[in-house]
Order: sequence, then structure tokens, then C-alpha cells
Amino acid sequence: MPCCLTICKTFILFFLIILVSATECQILGQQKVAGVVSDNDGSPLYGVTVSIKGISTATRTDSSGAYSITAPSGSSILFSYVGHETREIKISNNFQLSLVLPTLVTNLSEVVVTAYGSEQVKDITGAVSIVKPKELTAVPAGQVEPMLQGRAAGVNVITQATPGAPTLISIHGFGNFGLVTPLYIIDGTPGNINDLNPDDIESLQVLKDAGSAAIYGVRGANGAIVVTTRKGKPGNATITFENYLGYQVPLSKGYDVLNPTESAEATWQAYTNSGIPLVHPQYKNTPGSNIPILPYYVLAGSQGGLAEGDPAADPKLYNADPLAGPIYQIVKANQAGTDWFHQLYSPAFSQNYTLTASGGGDKNRYLFSLGYMNQEGTLINTYLKRFTVRINTEFNILKNIRIGENLELLSKETPDEDAPENPGTGGSASISLANPILPPYDIEGNQYGGVPGLGPPAPVFAYLDSRNSKRFNWAALGNVYAEVDFASHFTFRTSFGGTFNYNYYYVYQPSFPSLGGSATANSLTEGSGYGHNWSWQNTLLFQKTFHEDNQVKLLIGTEFIDNYGRNLSGSGGGFYSNAPNYTYLSNSDPATRNTSSSAFTSSLYSLFGRLDYGFRDKYLFGATLRRDGSSVFGPENRYGLFPSVSAAWRITKEDFARATTTWLNDLKLRGSWGKLGFDGNTPASNQYNLYGGNPGSTFYDISGTNTIVQGFTAFSQGNPHTGWQTDIQTDIGLDGILWNSKLSFSIDFWLKKSTGLLYPLGLPYVLGGAASPYANVGDIENKGFDLLLGSKGRISRDLKFDVSATVSVYRNKIMKLNDGTDYFDQTGNGGAPNSRIARNAVGHPVGSFYGYKIIGFFNSADDVIKSPYQDGAAPGEFKYLDANKDDSINDMDRVFFGDPNPKFTLGLNIGLSYKNFDFSTFFYGVFGNDVINTVKASTDFFGGSAMSKTLLYDSWTPSHQNAKVSINETSPSFSNTLPPNSYPLEDGSYFRNKSMILGYTLPRNTLQKIHMKQIRIYVQVTNLFTITKYTGLDPETSGTASFFGIDGGNYPNNQKQWLMGLNVSF
Amino acid sequence: MKIHTILLKTITGAAIFFSCSKSVLDKPAPGWLNPQDLTNKTGVDGLLIGAYSLLDGVGSINVAINDSWQSAGSNWVYGSVCGTEAHKGSSEGDQPDMGSLEEFKATSFNPSMAGKWATVYDGVQRCNDVLRIMRLATDIKPADTVEIRSEALFLRAHYHFEAKKIWNHVPFVDESVTYDAGNYKMSNEADIWPHIEDDLEYAIAHLPGVAKDIGRANHYSAEALLAKVYMFQGKYDSAKTLLTDIISSGHYQLSPHYGDNFNAEKQNNQENIFVAETSVNDGSGGMNGNYGDIFNYPNSGPVGCCGFFQPSQFMVNHFKTDPVSGLPNLDENNLTDIPSDYGKTSGDAFTPYAGTVDPRLDWTVGRRGIPYLDWGLHPGADWIVDQSTGGPYSPIKNMYYKSQQGIYSDRQGWTAASNAIHIGLIRYADVLLWAAEAEVFTQNGSLAKAQEYVNQVRMRAADPGGWVYQYKNAQDPSQGFSDTPAANYKINPYPGVWTDPLMAIQAIRYERMLELGMEGHRFFDLVRWGIAANSINTYLSKEKSISGYLSKSVFVAGKNEYFPIPQSEIDKSDHLLIQNHGYF
Repeated sequence: MPCCLTICKTFILFFLIILVSATECQILGQQKVAGVVSDNDGSPLYGVTVSIKGISTATRTDSSGAYSITAPSGSSILFSYVGHETREIKISNNFQLSLVLPTLVTNLSEVVVTAYGSEQVKDITGAVSIVKPKELTAVPAGQVEPMLQGRAAGVNVITQATPGAPTLISIHGFGNFGLVTPLYIIDGTPGNINDLNPDDIESLQVLKDAGSAAIYGVRGANGAIVVTTRKGKPGNATITFENYLGYQVPLSKGYDVLNPTESAEATWQAYTNSGIPLVHPQYKNTPGSNIPILPYYVLAGSQGGLAEGDPAADPKLYNADPLAGPIYQIVKANQAGTDWFHQLYSPAFSQNYTLTASGGGDKNRYLFSLGYMNQEGTLINTYLKRFTVRINTEFNILKNIRIGENLELLSKETPDEDAPENPGTGGSASISLANPILPPYDIEGNQYGGVPGLGPPAPVFAYLDSRNSKRFNWAALGNVYAEVDFASHFTFRTSFGGTFNYNYYYVYQPSFPSLGGSATANSLTEGSGYGHNWSWQNTLLFQKTFHEDNQVKLLIGTEFIDNYGRNLSGSGGGFYSNAPNYTYLSNSDPATRNTSSSAFTSSLYSLFGRLDYGFRDKYLFGATLRRDGSSVFGPENRYGLFPSVSAAWRITKEDFARATTTWLNDLKLRGSWGKLGFDGNTPASNQYNLYGGNPGSTFYDISGTNTIVQGFTAFSQGNPHTGWQTDIQTDIGLDGILWNSKLSFSIDFWLKKSTGLLYPLGLPYVLGGAASPYANVGDIENKGFDLLLGSKGRISRDLKFDVSATVSVYRNKIMKLNDGTDYFDQTGNGGAPNSRIARNAVGHPVGSFYGYKIIGFFNSADDVIKSPYQDGAAPGEFKYLDANKDDSINDMDRVFFGDPNPKFTLGLNIGLSYKNFDFSTFFYGVFGNDVINTVKASTDFFGGSAMSKTLLYDSWTPSHQNAKVSINETSPSFSNTLPPNSYPLEDGSYFRNKSMILGYTLPRNTLQKIHMKQIRIYVQVTNLFTITKYTGLDPETSGTASFFGIDGGNYPNNQKQWLMGLNVSF
Repeated sequence: MKIHTILLKTITGAAIFFSCSKSVLDKPAPGWLNPQDLTNKTGVDGLLIGAYSLLDGVGSINVAINDSWQSAGSNWVYGSVCGTEAHKGSSEGDQPDMGSLEEFKATSFNPSMAGKWATVYDGVQRCNDVLRIMRLATDIKPADTVEIRSEALFLRAHYHFEAKKIWNHVPFVDESVTYDAGNYKMSNEADIWPHIEDDLEYAIAHLPGVAKDIGRANHYSAEALLAKVYMFQGKYDSAKTLLTDIISSGHYQLSPHYGDNFNAEKQNNQENIFVAETSVNDGSGGMNGNYGDIFNYPNSGPVGCCGFFQPSQFMVNHFKTDPVSGLPNLDENNLTDIPSDYGKTSGDAFTPYAGTVDPRLDWTVGRRGIPYLDWGLHPGADWIVDQSTGGPYSPIKNMYYKSQQGIYSDRQGWTAASNAIHIGLIRYADVLLWAAEAEVFTQNGSLAKAQEYVNQVRMRAADPGGWVYQYKNAQDPSQGFSDTPAANYKINPYPGVWTDPLMAIQAIRYERMLELGMEGHRFFDLVRWGIAANSINTYLSKEKSISGYLSKSVFVAGKNEYFPIPQSEIDKSDHLLIQNHGYF
């Protein structure tokens, strides 16, 4: 019952407030005030908010800048407009009130949307970063998350090149081992910002500390990003058109691999070093000189190593059609070498269009926008196609009642996530391993599976075929709301919204030949799912200024969130034909058909309140309290209580600081402390032990009749004791503006202590096959500072500049792990052994690289004897550090040798404008992080696939002891590649020019002649250069919160793109 | 006040809606069963089926399906590839982790170790779940309880035995080990043989002689498994008692023809004591077939992929018999080659060896020029990826007949090779040969009896009805087989009466390879006999002389008898698990 009691109490409080305020209704003398509001240059301003201070009566100026409002005598009228100073004028007997609202020099009075409301920048007591939409769209990433990279201090963003692929984003370090994605609030409703059309964004705020985000309680621990979409403004309808066309070129240099001749030499070198006779399924030896001879055909039927004119390679024998008989493919060697990288990466086009119409009158405002984007990636068949429609409207149905809605309709198409080019399936990694002697196609232009002894070719065909594998998403995102102003100081708001989505996908795998020319069967998987994630919020806001100096704002509210989804899929194989027009499940072999369906559900119920108090704009204080209940936790730990306090002191408002105001425009000291909660993306079923069965895992032919009976086993281990992860966050900040924004800064020192981290520890296998539950596994501490420096002004009358830099520094340390352990290993992609190179251990950063540290080579047999005992030790092999000095190398000698976390990251934006020209460039840098280069770990050692130049020319030999890599040998051992060791470790620091834009805006008088409001054209280049010592394609690697900095042959994200854009409004 | 009224109604509505927030936060897990749903006869039966279903080594949630070779119930990598019978096959660099095992260079980071460990302990816990949940059930009759418990303990013993023979030092996990109890960080110090014996003794005491389903454990299969446990400990007396009981019970006999054991149509015969039952085209995508052996087909032959598990020349040589006596030459150090087509393309002329061989050779090894079931003559090199790595031979015991395609073989995806030839774990021939060993090693044992058992096995092989024959028409195998044996088969029982126990034991050990070759037993046999280092190094020196492959491999005595305990499990146990000697 405690929950119900709290609810009752809350509503009693609601009623009391309403009753009190109702009796407080005053009747004062009213007077009508009217006038015109204009800009610095005298032009009328449309849509200026004109409100009466202290009561919630408001209107807006019309297209001629005129307004009219009825106000109680003696009250003050507030005029506010984005980008302009806010003016407060007390009315005496002036019925006419016209004024100029000067353009802002500082953004202090800018109104920004924060949690459950909005406030002026000067009143903010928490750590909030404001990102301008123009800055976001300067990087044409297509999705919002990657656009945030380097734009807000304290926000770390690791992007991926695959269009539409997820981004790893975290605010203030890595607070847990799993999900670090912040909470996204779009127009007040939780949602996914990547499904927004970036051109629709009006403002974006990052709430980084307890003072700003604690009101989100359970989901605020990772910070929150609050997005407001564009709204219509009163005045004449405006139509804008934004567009760019882009052309992306792949990196000019791909993987640094040996050509076929060198590759054969490396093979002979390895065979010689390993004492193996020079016999190979493909290469022939020149007796006497021991020079390998390359084959002319690498495959004919199932044989390799054939010379030109070999009868086995007679094209008459060729057959690639399994129905016509045994497959017999013939593949010519590409003795010059295939450039696999450029077989798979080619120039790509992208295009983006947004058409917007907006406007409104006194009683209604509207905005419609239509967006279309088709962003292709340079890797074959990677793309993101998105079509969006936005409809935002608001109506004043009564003077004090507003209703409105924000709605986006989305249609999105990507290759299916199971398609081979998806980085998750390791598609792009296979390119780095494809042997250059192999051609992309066989002699008839068909796909082939592989040849003896040389590894598989890169799956060009599989990429091409995946054009028949698609995933579609359709969604409606947004909310409807109503706001009621009453009893002078109260506003009640109710909002219902969220995301309603539907997806459909199909993946067709045609039959394709495997090594030696047999064909595997074809298969089709097709499925769909629908779901909703809606939230219903009710808030009551009380806002009043007492005795002139005391501003009070009190907000209380409730929120209910419900998630539900259901999926259905089916698969089948054995299609007679691979034709896309034929491959439907009903044509598959019935014996191969499978169906499945599943569902998920979870809910969250919360009560919250926030009190803001300001004294003379000088001392600001805020407090929040939130209580959350989540269905993902068992009854005993279901509820969490999350308080926070924050305060700010505007030093420049003090009398003693008055003298400085000529140069020090503003100085604010802020501080906050709070407790935030996190449910860690815990699955809704976490509390339960789950049993089930399926044919492959648990059914069994007990009767020995080639038929199965149903069986069960435990699939998930439940943990009913799992409860909230809580983050205690402390933040101290100082904001300053000097010399009319010639210099501005904002600095935050923060400390985030996360306890009870939610993560599924990999349990020992002696517990069986059931998946580990999420539990409160440990504590992490993150600390750091964020710095924002800005400078803007004029150099001459026509030359203006706007420069800003963000610096983010964090240090991350695991403080404690429960379960009596002090470490756990993290696994991810990258192949053995580097899939196990990350360890989370007490006293170390999350995802630290762990293994045997290489200290050199064994240079002689004598050296082997004199060194600590090591398995596989031999001259030319790696010598590991004997960390515990016990004269033997064993598992206790593994050490932490690398850290994927950067020392700091830097974003630098330089903007210049000269007359009608504008120029901006943006740099992003990451410094002091380590990367595991798994491509190097595979190609620098002998194998049947691609091998690197390092292997042939810089591996250890008795006469070349100062080598990069161990002796070239055929078989791997503990002393070279088998355990995780420090060989693939590299410095991943880089500094990149992410974007450079040159734009030209047509002069105003020209525009007036053609009745246009604005025309701007621009050219842009992205990723112009990257400065780095990293030897792989791109040091920016994707990953997860506790497994990142591993370059598993990533799709490079540093490829240049040239763009041309146009913005028009009329 | 009108607005206030609206507001009042809204808030009241909200209050009513949310006052039940406690129940809206109680969400079930859609699509799953809770343990309580299984606390009845049907549920517990289902859990037991789940425990049986891992006998094939495939389907544990912690092992990726394409890594099933690591955990295959047949133990083809650990038992045969590491046990002198076969090479990994395919080409150098294909499945390098498997290559490390074959070269005896595997480290504790080798993913196969974790794969096998995860699967056998998943099996153990599935048995434990049967016991735990059965305690909560109320509708199970006492007699049924005993039977279910017996089957579960039998299976639990089997899964522990798998762990024991691979790693030796392993934890025994009974039903008290749960996540909730927090007792899952386990040591491997104590020997688990006594626990395995306890489980099997219970099963023997309570299981019926004939089970209600052919796939279930019965009294005799439990006896056979316990006998195997005793054999592994050298407790020949105890083993003999059990083995004699099985033999004298008359429940089992050798199938008429040797090849029936590897034919999905004829495999349900009286030779089976304990098998992993298999099925295909059952909605499992091949996972209930012999999926763990999915790579083990001639490359670009009948099913295409992938050319692994190639019989070794060393093993093939064992099948040579004396042209007069029909007996093998028991001196393993003096095995001259049966000539092969090594180094020849399929186009080059080749005549199969004309000397006398044991007829079981062509049921165990696919070789050039001999009918490969009903698929046609083995063409040699065309079916081999790389002779210099894997040699010239192909596996055959796991291959289905062409005439059975689509019925006993899967029709979906690339699993078209998965088939319903069951995975033999203990067959009667195995029991006879153990019994022969036990007779030699026990005080009151009889060499004559040992010889009789061995000869029983050899006589079955000697029956010409069970030999491989040439096709009527080699161009069209579907026309059937002729009356001409495919090779010069010559096999006889051991004549006279054995008097030399050393010779007897050599003959029995030799016979086990001939009879059980490629069935995943040899490595473990060599280890339990204490001759692994010697035998395997002999094998390595033989094989490396062919192509240089394995030239740097050495079997280190005192180390390589057991495999490395997965480092990940040692780490997760907080180092309570101690690594096996010699591994780092």
C-alpha cells in the first residue's frame, strides 16, 4: 500500500493548492495596452511573447509586430523573443507601449527548454550544455547522435560509418558497464532522437548533472538530452527549403597487404622457418632456387594450383548451376593482386531535402515539414533512406487553455541488420582478410566460395545479394497536450505521447558456392514487429513572485510509461529459384519452415516535484524529488527515491561587483548535488527464472524415430533482488561572460559515484546455460571537468567571428565489484583472442586492455633458457613480462596494458563571416586513448588469407632482431598469437577536421526584389584530414560501454565527403 | 470555476487510474514458463527431455551453433583427431583453434575449451533442474519419481564423465549449486569419481531393464556407463562384474553387420547401449542431427563442405591384415603404409591397394577407388581440400546414404549435411572389448574369455554379408552392389588359446581401434592405458614424415593427457579452479 498512500497524498496536495489559489483570485483594475515591437534596425518582430508578469496571461505580436493585451494596472509586461533581450516594463498609465527588442549580445535571457519546463539561461542552476541546431547540421551525418560529437563539453560520442548504425554516446564518463545512452526527451516526451529529421530541431540541451537531470529520476543517471522541435510562429506563412547533395569518396589507401608474389614468398618463409617442405596446394616450388610459382588457376572443380592450359580448367567443364549437375567452377588467379578494399568501397551519393511551411495567428500556430534523406555509405549496399513528415500545431481554444500536438511520421529503410555489410556480423572485417590473389568473380563472373589454401574471398556477391535484404521502420512519434492557466499563478499540463512503431524485414540468402564448388541451400527469413512506448504526464506549475524579489516556481507531477511490443518471424529454405520475385515463404520446402513470435512489456510510474527559488536574480536555488516504481525490478526493490539540490550565485549582481560590469558582463557560480537512478536497460523479465524450449536446444528424439518430443530448460536466471542503480553526482560550475561575449566560458568540475551498477555478470558455466540476470554488480566513479570557451565579435565592420572550443576530460575507475570478485572479463567482437582482451577490474577504468605484455623477443636459444619459463618460447617469439617475478609465465602474469578511455577530447569550431559570406570549420580530437588493432593482429601473422607487409619485411629473423613482429611461422602458439597480448595495442589519438563549410547568402535587397526572405548556398567538405599515428584505417572504433577501442576491421569513418547545399525561405 | 471542474475530473481520473499502480508494475514475462509452471509430471518429463537433448553436444545456449565442433557429443576432435585416428583436415588455417588442439599447442584461451565446458555443465544443470523442480511437484507417483531421478542421475554422471575425461580436475556440480545459493565458485581439487559412481549406482538400482523409450537410460546402460567409469580408474574387478552382467543378460548383441551402426535406417538395433538419438527435418534447422560433425564431409563431394576429420595414414595402416592368418600386425612401431593416392590428382591413374585388409577399413575410411556408400567411388583428391594438411582420406561413419537424402538428412540451409545417424556413446562391441580387457587385468580373469570376446567382435566383421562391395555399375551406383568385395578383405578370429597376457592386451587395444575407429574414443583409451605419450609421439613422427604437417608437434607426457581448463572459467571462479599441470 505505500504506493497508493503516496499517490493519495500527492493528490490531496494538488487539491489544496488549487483551493488555496482559487480563493486567492483577485479582481484588480484592468487596462488595455497595445503597441509595436521592433528589431534593432526598425523592422517589426513577429511572434514576440508578450506576457503579464506574475500571471499567466500572454499573447504574441502579429506580422506587423503589433500586439494588444489586457493587464492589471500596475503590473509589468514582459517581452521575450528568441535571440533578443527580454524586456520588462511596468505599466503606469501608458496605454501605448512600443519598443525595440535589441538582439542579444549574450544568451543570458534566452529561454531554453529543460526538464518539464523552460527557463532562462541566467536562471539555470545545473550543468546544461546548449547545442545550436546549426552546429548539429554542420556535420551531415543524417542522424542526430553522431552530430553531437565535440559539440557539448562532457559528452563523449563514438560514431560509426555505416549509415543508420548506432552511436556510442555518454555524458560525463562511462557510468556503467552496459547502456550509457542518455535519456532523450523530445518535446517533453521520451523518444529516440535518431529518428528525428535534424532539420526539424529548434533547440537541443544536454542536462549533465543532478541539478538539471535528477527530476528524471530513474532514467536521468546517464544525463538527459532535451530536444524541442520547430514550432510555427505568428505571422505570415514562411516556407523554407533546405537541401544538400553529397559525394563521398572512399579512402584512397586500403589495407596494407602483400601482393600475390610477396604473399607466396611469405608462405615459403613461414614454411622454411617451420621446417615444412615447400609443398602447397596452390604454389609450386622452383627446385634449387626455392622461389614460389604462382598458379594460373586457383580453382578448377576442387583443385587449386593449376598452370595455364591445364585440362582441368577447360571452360567446357564449367558449371555453376546446381540443378544442371555437380558444380564445377573455374577461378583464375589475379596475379597482379585484387584491391579488395576498393572492390567493396566505392564513391557514394547522399541527398537530403527538407521543406517546411509554418505560420500562425494569435490563436493558432502551425508547422508542417517534409523531409527526405537518402544517405549511401561507401561500402556496397549500405544506406539509410528516411522519409519524415512533421506536423506541430498549437491552438488557444480559450484565453487560458491551449491544446497542441507535436507529431512526426517516419518511414525508414536500411539494409537488414543481419545483412553481411552490417558491422555486427563482421562483414567489413572480412575485407581486410581477403587474399589479393583471389579475383572477385570466377571466369564466368559468378560468385565462388573459396579455394584450397588461400582463405575465402571477400564476399562481394553476398554484399550485392543483400540488396534483397531490407528492414523498414514506420513510426509515429510525438505527443498531444493541453495546458490550462488558472488562478493567476497556476498552469496545469497534461501530455500523452511516445512512439508507436512497426517494422518489417526480410533477409534472403541465396544459395552460394562454398569452397570447392558445392552450393549451400538458400533461405529466407521474414518478420515484423510492432510496439509502443507511451508516456502520460501530468504536471501542475505554480509560479509567483512574492514581494518583488522572491521568485518561486513549484512543479509537481506524475508520469506513467508503458512499453509493449510483439514480434513475429518466419523462415524457410529450399527455394527452387533464387529470383527475388519467387522467393516467398510459401514457396519454400515445408520441412525447412520455422516460425516464432515473442513479446516484451514493462512499465514505470513516477511522482515528482521541483521547487525553484530565486532572490533578486542573484541567489538561485532548486530542489527536486522524484519517486519511481519500475516493473523491471522485483517488489522488494521496485521503488526508488531520488532527491537533488542545486544553487547558483550570480556574483555580478552583487553591489560589490557593479564596478566590474563594464568588462565582466556576467559571472555565475553554480553547484549541485543529487541522487539519480538508473534501471540499466534491465530486461523486464529480469526478476524471473525463465524456462522454455525450442527444437534445437531442448527437444529430443527420445523414441529414436526421427521425430522430436518437447523438452524444457532454464533460459534465464532471475534475480528478484536486483534494484536501482544510483548515481550520486556533484557538480561545481562557473559561467562567465566578458567584454560583451568577446570571451565567454563555462567550466564544470564534476564527480559521479555510481553504485549498484546494473549488469549481467557472466556467471561460471557450472551454473548451466541459463543467461545471467542483471544484478547490482559494483560501483564506478567518474570524475572530470568540462570546459566551454567562446569568443565572438567583429574584427571589422564586415568581418565577424565566432569561435568556440569544448574540452571534455574524465577519469573512470571501478571502485568495487560485488559477488566477492574484483574483476570480470568482457567479451565482444574482434575474434579470438582479442574478443577477450577487455577486463573490468577494481581500481582500473572500464574496459581496460588486459593480457600478456610483450617486452621483446627471445633472440637466441640461450635467451630462452635464461628467461622465465614460457610456453612456446623459441628464438624469434615474443617474450612476455614476468609480472609476478616467479620465473614462469602463467595466467598470473597478465597485466593491464592499455586503456581505451581518452585523456581528453576536444571540439573546436571556428566561424567567420564576411559580408554575405560565411565560413565555418569544425575540428574534433581525441587524445591519449589506446586502440586494439585486430586487423594487425591477424594480418601480421602467417595465415592462409591476406598477410601484411610487416610480416614479410619486418618479422624477426636471426639477422633482423630489431623487428616489429615475431618470427614468421605456420602455427600459432602461446608465445605469439594465441593468448590476448599487447601486440595489437596502438595509440588511438587523432585530430580530425570534421567539417568545413563556405556559404553565401544573397543580399537582402536582391531578395526583396524577388520576394524571398533568404537564399543561402554553401559548399562543404567533411573529414578533410585526420592527424593520427594509428596504423589502421581509422582510429575511431565503435563498441559498447565496456568493450570499446577495439578495431575489428571497422568500416572507416574518416572518408571525405563533398557537399553542396541550398537553403531558401520565402 | 468551469475549468476547475474539468481539472478536477482529470485529476480524479488520473488518481483512479494510478491508484492501481502497484498492479500495473507487476508485469509477467511473455512467452516464458516460470519454474512453478513445470512442477508437475509433464513439466518434469519435459525438463528430463531437455537434459537428454544435450547428449549430442549441440544446443547449449552458451555455444554458438557454428562452434558446435567444440562440444560435439561424438568428441571427434578430442577423441579421434587428438587420438591418432584423424587429422583436423581441410586446409592449414581453417579453424585454427582446432589446429592448435591437433598440434597439442592449445592454450587455456582456446575457445573450444569453454565451448565443451559450457555444454557439459549445461547438461549437468539440466539434470539438476529435473531434481530440483521434481521436489516441488505434487502429482508424480513415487515410482515415477524414482525412475525420473534415476535417469537424471544417469545423465548427470555422463556429463560429469565427459568433463572428467577431458580435464581430469573438474568440479562435481550437484543440485545444491544454484545462483541463488551463491555457491557457484567451485574448486576442482576433490576427485569426482566417487560422485559419478554414486549417481550411477542409484541409477543401476532403480532403472528398469527395458526403458519405455529406446532413447532412455535403463539398468544395463547405467551398468555399462559405470563399467566404463571403472575401466577409466583401472577398477577392473568392479567393471568385470557389471560387464559380465550385461553380457549374460542377453539384452544386447552385435548387429548382424558392422555397417548397420552407421546407417540411419538400421541403427536402432540391439547393439546400442547408449546413444545420442538424432533427428532431422524437425524444425530444429539440423541442430538435432549430428550437427557437431557438420564439417566432416568430403569437400565438394556429396554434401559439399567442408573436408574436415580426415583419417590418418597411421590409422589406415592398422587395418592391414596378414594375407594368411587374417590377423593384424600388433607391433605399432612397424606399420608399413597401405599405399594411398597422396600426391595424385583425381585424374591421375590409381589402383587401390590390393593387399589384404580388415573389412572394417572401408566402413571407417573413405578412400580413393572404393565405393563411398551409394554415392559413387571415392575420387580421391577432388574431395580433399589439401592433401598436405589432412592426407588423402575422408570420414565415412557419419555420412548418410544418397538414397536417404532428405529423409535422414536435413533439407534446410547449409545444414544440408546434418543427418540422423545417431551419435554412438556405448555400443555392445565396446562392452565386449572392455570385458576382454577386464578379463586380462583381473586376478581370476580368463585369457580365454578375453579372446572369446575379441573374436566375437572380429567374427561379426568377418561375415561377408557385412562387407563393402563394388558397384554393379560404377557410373550409376543406384543400381546397387555386386558380389565382388570392394577390396581384398581378409579377417579371421585369433586362433588357438591366448596364453600371453601382454600379447592379449596388445591385441585388445589394437582391436579397439579397428572396431571403434573414428568414434571419438581413442585418445581417452590411450590416456587411461597410460601409453598416450608414447603412442601419440609415434603417430606424430609417422604423420609428419608424409608432408611436414605436424612437424613441430610434440605430445608432452604429464601435460597433454588432459586439456587446459578454460581460462575464462578459472577467472570466473576467482582462481578456485586450478589449471591443469603444464598449462599457463
